[in-house]
Amino acid sequence: MKPHSAVTPRKVKYSYLDKQFAEIDPILEDIRALVKSGDFTLGEPVRRFEESFAKLIGAEHAVGVGSGTDALFLSLKALGVGPGDEVITAANTFVATAGAIETAGARIVFVDCNEKFVIDPALMEKAITKKTRALLPVHWGGQPFDIDAVMQAAQKHGLPVVEDACQSIGAAVGKRKAGSVGAAAGFSLHPLKNLNVWGDGGIITTNSAQTRDKLRLLRNHGMSSRDEYSFYAYNSRLDSLQAVVGNRLIKDFEWITQTRIDNAHKLDAALNGIKQLRFPPRPAGERHVYHLYQFLAEDRDGLLKFLKGKGVDAKVHYPRPLHLQPASQPLGYKAGDFPVAEAQAKTTITLPVHQHLSGEDVDHMIACIKEFYGA
Amino acid sequence: MARKVLYVDFSAQYAAQRKTLLPAIDRALARGEHVLGVELDSFEKRFARLCGVKHAIGVANGTDALMLVLRALGVGPGDEIVTAPNSFVASAAAIALVGATPVFADVLPDQTIDARALEKAITPRTRAVIPVHLTGKICDMKAISAVARRRGLIIIEDAAQAVGALYHGRPAGSLGRAACFSFHPLKNLNAAGDAGAIVTSDDALAVKLRLLRNHGLKSRDEVMFWGHNSRLDTLQASILNRRLPSLAKVTRARRRTADLYRKGLAGIVECPRDAAGCRDAYHLFVIQCDRRDELQRFLKANGVSTAVHYPTPIHLQAPARKLGYKKGDFPETERQSARILSLPVHQYLTRAQIGHVIGAIQRFYGR
Repeated sequence: MKPHSAVTPRKVKYSYLDKQFAEIDPILEDIRALVKSGDFTLGEPVRRFEESFAKLIGAEHAVGVGSGTDALFLSLKALGVGPGDEVITAANTFVATAGAIETAGARIVFVDCNEKFVIDPALMEKAITKKTRALLPVHWGGQPFDIDAVMQAAQKHGLPVVEDACQSIGAAVGKRKAGSVGAAAGFSLHPLKNLNVWGDGGIITTNSAQTRDKLRLLRNHGMSSRDEYSFYAYNSRLDSLQAVVGNRLIKDFEWITQTRIDNAHKLDAALNGIKQLRFPPRPAGERHVYHLYQFLAEDRDGLLKFLKGKGVDAKVHYPRPLHLQPASQPLGYKAGDFPVAEAQAKTTITLPVHQHLSGEDVDHMIACIKEFYGA
Repeated sequence: MARKVLYVDFSAQYAAQRKTLLPAIDRALARGEHVLGVELDSFEKRFARLCGVKHAIGVANGTDALMLVLRALGVGPGDEIVTAPNSFVASAAAIALVGATPVFADVLPDQTIDARALEKAITPRTRAVIPVHLTGKICDMKAISAVARRRGLIIIEDAAQAVGALYHGRPAGSLGRAACFSFHPLKNLNAAGDAGAIVTSDDALAVKLRLLRNHGLKSRDEVMFWGHNSRLDTLQASILNRRLPSLAKVTRARRRTADLYRKGLAGIVECPRDAAGCRDAYHLFVIQCDRRDELQRFLKANGVSTAVHYPTPIHLQAPARKLGYKKGDFPETERQSARILSLPVHQYLTRAQIGHVIGAIQRFYGR
């Protein structure tokens, strides 16, 4: 017989999109105006969003594109990455990071991560070969990568860094913000991101006017004017309609970020003492913006199932590292190549940490986890 | 006479659709489903039916549709793809971007690719042909299919401008291995931003395309191959779902305008007309005329906006010059590029506006 449980189930959803737009009317008003104007493609709302976003990140320029994946892919293209090149990234990232390298025609080189779930800078440096053309470290889940160490290595080897900042708008190490340190940085505005739009969207930041100009051509058919094409290029534009949404939500961004950080701190404080759990180090001076609230748990699958049974929509990011995916087969990786990423994949779990959680939601998750471990 | 005739009239479309459109957006957002999902599934099913094929796969835009279908068919470096030089640049760009070489073949007087020129352009490296149904007019698919069959080539229809067009009763999109559509705001069936689709009756190709547009993800945790992110936004799908039922009406209105233009401009300029057995969609109504630039200025002074699709053929643009193309390579395309002018043909034109355009052109040529 199952022992009696003191915690009654309560729905704690991972996705909060139905709640996000309880106050939808002002945005619909803006959309109404946009639809009337017909300014659907690279119009005024996109320019305005790019300006605010660059300011938010502390970068000189921003270029809106179709998605976070395209942001990374087009950044690599703008830097001239192509066939014969190698690009280094972390093995524990989302598929799109590696996909962007492959679709740019280059070879993916994976490197293990450290306890903070970000690329190990020393291993990254070791993976550099004569063919390495760029570095693509990931600010993972809101945790900035080790900016100082990574940038130092990049400088030493004369390699451009494309920051994968898709999950980390607002993250920083000291005064160095994610998205402001590399040759370019890709951000995602996917609905589940901390700053989001109502469909796919992405944006690239850069401090180089030259890279910005190249990116503007790359995203829009290489069109320098309606009748002149400089080179064959892509169609990957941030829709004006989505920029309208972004322009509204960016005003809430500080609140969103701070609420997520506060939720995370509350969870940290309550869960830190449980001996079956291991938390990533949280160095002072690093601003983790908690796109993902992630830790390592003994009997992870048991905990996951238990939480689901109690209404908590916990997730795993991700159960299988990229080097062990079928897609990696041609690259020749095998189990054991990246022990840290592989160990994390077996024990990592992600709790909802979003800005629409109530105090009761957070308390419920804490109570469930304590009960599961008998703590 | 200062009557305004806009080339595109989004305000008119908005006025006509605001009652259905905004609630649709509201509902889609309330559902909290922004990527893939039921709205898109439903649009894909209905769009496939419209095209008379088994599958439709929504993607981010028409360019991606071409690029992804080429990639899914394994087209890459070393391959050649034959297409028309008078299209929008994306038709050639998609080929170049997957690493293949665009090869051009000249067009017929009606602006569609010449099947005989196409056959001459075929080499042992040719993998596929991309006939472009420019302006909403379907190419001579009987002749093109015969060539493709004889030479073992895949046909991919570039139907970006041809939604709703018919070829001997068969819809654009059902005439090759796959076809690519755009739902860009300017298209006959339009979203409020970028959107596109690929249609095909090839089951295996459809499966591959669904993976390719979504990171190669078979499930949340399994990556079959490295893919792209190119999805038709759910929000845009909800708009397309509302607009799909009126496509037939849109096509009829455009065809009616085309009829009026043909009658009013007979003997003055060359007007497009349906080939025998065909029903063109008139995404564009392109006349061919002398003193084109002068006429365009005259019309503008009379309140009529027009456009040129396209003043510089693809083979004379910078990227194609690098492939070795030069002036004189495609005489018919080049001849047309100085003579073509797109008149307003959108579905919100009034009879008075159409009459105004015709009257202005008659006056310009002293009729």
